[in-house]
Amino acid sequence: MAIKPFAHGNAVTVAEAVEALSASCRPLAGGTDLLAMMKADLTAPESLVNLKTIPELHEIGVVPDAETTKGLRIGAMVTLSQLAAHPAVQGRQELGRGSLTRSSMAVLHQAILRTASPQLRHMATLGGNLLQEPRCWYYRNELIPCWRKGGRLCYAYRGENKRHVILGGGPCYAVHPSDPAVALLAMDASLRIVGPAGERTMSLAEFYHPPDRETRTVTHLAIDELITEIRVPAPQAGTRGVYVKVAERAAWDFALAAVAIQAVMEGDTIRSCRVALGGVATIPWRASQVEEVLMGQASSPAPLSTAVIDRAVEAVVEDIRPLEHNGYKADLLQGVLREALDQLR
Amino acid sequence: MITKTAEHTVIGTRPPRADAFEKVVGKAVFGPDVNLPRMAYGRILRSPHAHARIVRIDPTRAEALDGVYAVATAADLPEAADRTERVGEGNVNYKYMRDNTFAGDKVLYHGHPIAAVAARTLQIAEQALELIDVEYELLDPVLDVRQAMAADAPLLHEGMHTRSLAGTADTPSNVASQFQFLQGDPEQGFAQADVVVERAFETAMVHQGYIEPHAATAAWDADGTLTVYTTTQGAFDIRSQVHELLGYPLSKIIVVPTEVGGAFGGKNVGYVEVPAAVLARKSGRPVRVVMTREEVFLASGPSSGTWMRVKMGATREGRITAAEVELCYEAGAYPGSPVGAGANCILAGYDIPNARLDGYDVVVNKPRVGAYRAPGATQSTFAGEAVIDELAEKLGLDPVEFRLRNIATNGMPRLNGGFHEHIAAREVMEAVRDHPHYNAPLERGTGILRRGRGVGLAYWGNWGARSSVTLEVNADGTVSMLMGSVDITGTRTSIAMQAAETLGLSLAHINPAMGNTQTSGYSDASGGSRTTMATGVAAVKAAEEVIAKMHERAAAIWVCEPEQVAYTNIGPDAGTFTCSRNDETMTFAEVAAKLGGTGGALRGQGDVNVRRWGGAFGANIADVEVDIETGSVRLLRFTAVQNVGKAIRPGQVEGQLRGGATQGIGWGLYEGYAYDGQGHMLNANFLDYKLPTALDVPAIETEILEIPWPEHPFGVRGVGETPIVGPPAAIANAVYDAIGVRQGFLPMTPARILESMGII
Amino acid sequence: MSLEFRGPGVVPLTLYVNGHETHLQVEPRQTLLSVLREELGLTEAKHGCGMGTCGACTVILDGQTVYGCLTLAIDCDGSEVRTLEGLARGQELHPVQQAFIEHDAYQCGFCTPGQILSAVALLEANPRPTAEEVRQEMSGNLCRCGAYPNILSAVLAAGEREE
Repeated sequence: MAIKPFAHGNAVTVAEAVEALSASCRPLAGGTDLLAMMKADLTAPESLVNLKTIPELHEIGVVPDAETTKGLRIGAMVTLSQLAAHPAVQGRQELGRGSLTRSSMAVLHQAILRTASPQLRHMATLGGNLLQEPRCWYYRNELIPCWRKGGRLCYAYRGENKRHVILGGGPCYAVHPSDPAVALLAMDASLRIVGPAGERTMSLAEFYHPPDRETRTVTHLAIDELITEIRVPAPQAGTRGVYVKVAERAAWDFALAAVAIQAVMEGDTIRSCRVALGGVATIPWRASQVEEVLMGQASSPAPLSTAVIDRAVEAVVEDIRPLEHNGYKADLLQGVLREALDQLR
Repeated sequence: MITKTAEHTVIGTRPPRADAFEKVVGKAVFGPDVNLPRMAYGRILRSPHAHARIVRIDPTRAEALDGVYAVATAADLPEAADRTERVGEGNVNYKYMRDNTFAGDKVLYHGHPIAAVAARTLQIAEQALELIDVEYELLDPVLDVRQAMAADAPLLHEGMHTRSLAGTADTPSNVASQFQFLQGDPEQGFAQADVVVERAFETAMVHQGYIEPHAATAAWDADGTLTVYTTTQGAFDIRSQVHELLGYPLSKIIVVPTEVGGAFGGKNVGYVEVPAAVLARKSGRPVRVVMTREEVFLASGPSSGTWMRVKMGATREGRITAAEVELCYEAGAYPGSPVGAGANCILAGYDIPNARLDGYDVVVNKPRVGAYRAPGATQSTFAGEAVIDELAEKLGLDPVEFRLRNIATNGMPRLNGGFHEHIAAREVMEAVRDHPHYNAPLERGTGILRRGRGVGLAYWGNWGARSSVTLEVNADGTVSMLMGSVDITGTRTSIAMQAAETLGLSLAHINPAMGNTQTSGYSDASGGSRTTMATGVAAVKAAEEVIAKMHERAAAIWVCEPEQVAYTNIGPDAGTFTCSRNDETMTFAEVAAKLGGTGGALRGQGDVNVRRWGGAFGANIADVEVDIETGSVRLLRFTAVQNVGKAIRPGQVEGQLRGGATQGIGWGLYEGYAYDGQGHMLNANFLDYKLPTALDVPAIETEILEIPWPEHPFGVRGVGETPIVGPPAAIANAVYDAIGVRQGFLPMTPARILESMGII
Repeated sequence: MSLEFRGPGVVPLTLYVNGHETHLQVEPRQTLLSVLREELGLTEAKHGCGMGTCGACTVILDGQTVYGCLTLAIDCDGSEVRTLEGLARGQELHPVQQAFIEHDAYQCGFCTPGQILSAVALLEANPRPTAEEVRQEMSGNLCRCGAYPNILSAVLAAGEREE
């Protein structure tokens, strides 16, 4: 329970933070996951770089993005509660032409409010939330040398896997725990990443990848890199978003299944949309086949009818590979998608 | 002697609790808050294996670490008696308790304590744990109750043979004991039935989930007196355990109970007191041992996981003819599951002419179970009430009407061989029938969201036992009250109210406090829903003695015979002595002011062993909404009805009804231990073992019935446990009403609901 | 310019605890909860799980509720920390504390310090919350005794009183 001794440094600039990072020197953001990992003796860095002392990482604002629209730029140290309270996220501040509606950023707002508890939302940062370690109970048990921790086997694969992945699993079957990441994937967010070699931008869709056999991680973030900023493109006119999550408890719980949809609507017709799934894969999962169904033939867009919803609900489970105890998640996922689409109508 | 017939002036009111101020300012001292000079920090080494032989324990490297004061193992404990005694609400064999304090030759569950370390800091103590070398020889674990009962199952205790009325079995087994209740002729009863329902049920092991972890601080005086500060329901029970395990005289052990941050049955048995005491003796310092949350889950005393089968038959006219029940309860690593109580409570509210019940107490490689609020009853009631509900449905009867047709009445023989007295089961069921909630229309829903309503009838037998209260009259007319019972959620207040009522004084005149084993008379643990009842009897007795002695003092002042003095404790003149010789009056305070000159200190002592008590029936009505696509269950409305005999302080009674319901909701929908195949507990934390949050619990309506238990001065029966018994049953029946599929498993998670619907 | 690391030994720390400037020496690994309880003897904040999963250690840090068990003390340098110790003025209770007594909004009292601080922070930010807002904002504090309905009543009543 006691955290192993470590040294602590308050970074003031991104550059000095990045310079310090290594396998044994890790970045500290809100600490809600890292400190719990350290208390459980699952990780024991020799030193921590506090990122909360870097002023620029706390900035949040509407900034010029493309030529005609604006997007939202969120510093990685912005807390979840600060983000949920921001006028743009609440739909009270214009981000793009015609975007001034409560629903244009609703997918993110709803995802944040379904995350953890009020206190944790005051502490946790958006950057840290995107980089959470899995909540798999084999991974979190210090006695069990699972694959993700460097062991040989995934114990969930043939074990107690009710809460594990049904899409694209292996060699690790732990679900990605973030709600906001699913919403941001649906919003086509991108990340500004800074490392020793400089700065790069990467879409969230590219950022996550299924468990890597060498690094045993699910992101393209190198050990000496930081996410400094999350960029959300301005919603187009007519954008409506929805986030639906099912968990066992009403609060303070991780998703068994979640669906984020960000759609551009024309009346009751979906002109374009992005659909992302949470709680069912090792990473926030883009459901392209569902998007295709929903958008129909580009030439003859049809209203979001019950028949279309039925087809989308069929499509969402096309590629699933349930484990022994989590077959119910397929139905759950279908139910969550149907509910999300009903809300969109 | 003193009877009050007029309206009560204190009982039934809602004064602030005696501990209100210190609780809302956070100054109340709980177990982990105890802090003594020179105190060392203790931590416990636990087994990473569910079942293994210990080949070797070597603490040498730990002892050598700078800052380590002492290391303790089983070698520091004398042999304990192979004797079983009641501790709190359950039975404990001291030999097993010793092995459960520090493992002997085997570890029997993940988290089994092996050794303990005291060090200058918690961090050093934890570091030292890693330096204790333990060599294990791994054995196959058995985690499922029915697998443990199989003939070829790995044995936890090679020398354990099943005990039953027939004697002791020849071959060793994990079934510690079995028993049978038989009434009438079950075969004939089933032959008379027009409808028969039979179902099997499983429930997961659950935990009390008190937020305050176990915490004990032990200190030895120079004269050899051991003082243990601990969070417990029963200071005297802990003293007995320390006495037995250390082989040390009771008179040299003082157990001081702290405020208790939730217990619910789980703080009767001690886990950290003996390790703290041994470490304190070896280190020569006070030692505090506080469990982590993980340790609380791994190695305290949760409630049994179960496998149960219930078969019942009824006639077309709606009369139950027969029942057959099989209850298999996990005891954890050592015998002692609450299967007996489960058997006493299942179907207790019904007239069942023919029945057979088989109960099995089975050891498995999990922590040894303890008491959890109505131990054993919630599981069996979930099973019994589901079958009752299904019978009603098959007969085309309203579930409440069917229950009323078969309701048990006074004098009726019970399945366990006893008889019901003053039971008031009918009144409880009628209160459900007439409740606005039960009669409110329910929009059932046809789409994805389906709604249903369910009821459950619940019973807990309550308890009496030993209690001690001392009242000392002060010179200003106030009264200092000391009770041997530990205060769990308002006991001081409800006992002081009974004393005040009897004395005819306002509650403000009584200052109640918890005693310790040195200052108070022996009192059994605050558990079994006994405390307001039995300690109340003690308070009334102490108050009566105060009044009797005050008569003598008044007589001495008036220079008359005590018989010429009268005292009234009711009406506008309450608290007044009158003398028939001179027609003078003195107030209680006026007599108190002269105690010094009339004989010195005046104390009333109430020491009782209450041997007769009244059980409590309760019932729940649950409205649920089930999302048939996600399997999520949401509670829309929830009502708890209970006959409490008399509500001394109704605010606390409502709290107990709501609290039991909240825990029952958790048990019904979210909570359950999970293990991997090797017996590692997977969810020993509050994220994976999910307690209900403020968002999961609806406003819980309460209806208190007051049909008195005639042998208590104010009619008190007991409150705290019955409220948890019915909720999972009521919720399961409501889920059935909503989706048309019976639920055979607790908790009813989304996965279970969807699986039950055959969707996957 | 290179980052300066301090520790793992003790380093100086200044906290403003309930309005009092407090100078301490702490190891970087110490949590705010352990500093409050062990170094300052302020045991109002409780240790229920140590993992941010129960809410018993809730304190108000620079105006917002946080879990003291998952907050490093060193990260609070110069911050204002409010615990239950600072809420009542002598015998004069804060309206939330008074309402908790009147509504029986506690049973065992162990989670109560955290519950009260969550309620205080909520009402300071939103003096007249709806019942749903209270349930949402209080969902990060477990109460195993099941006083949730009473806590809800108490917070709503305290909100009305503070008007």
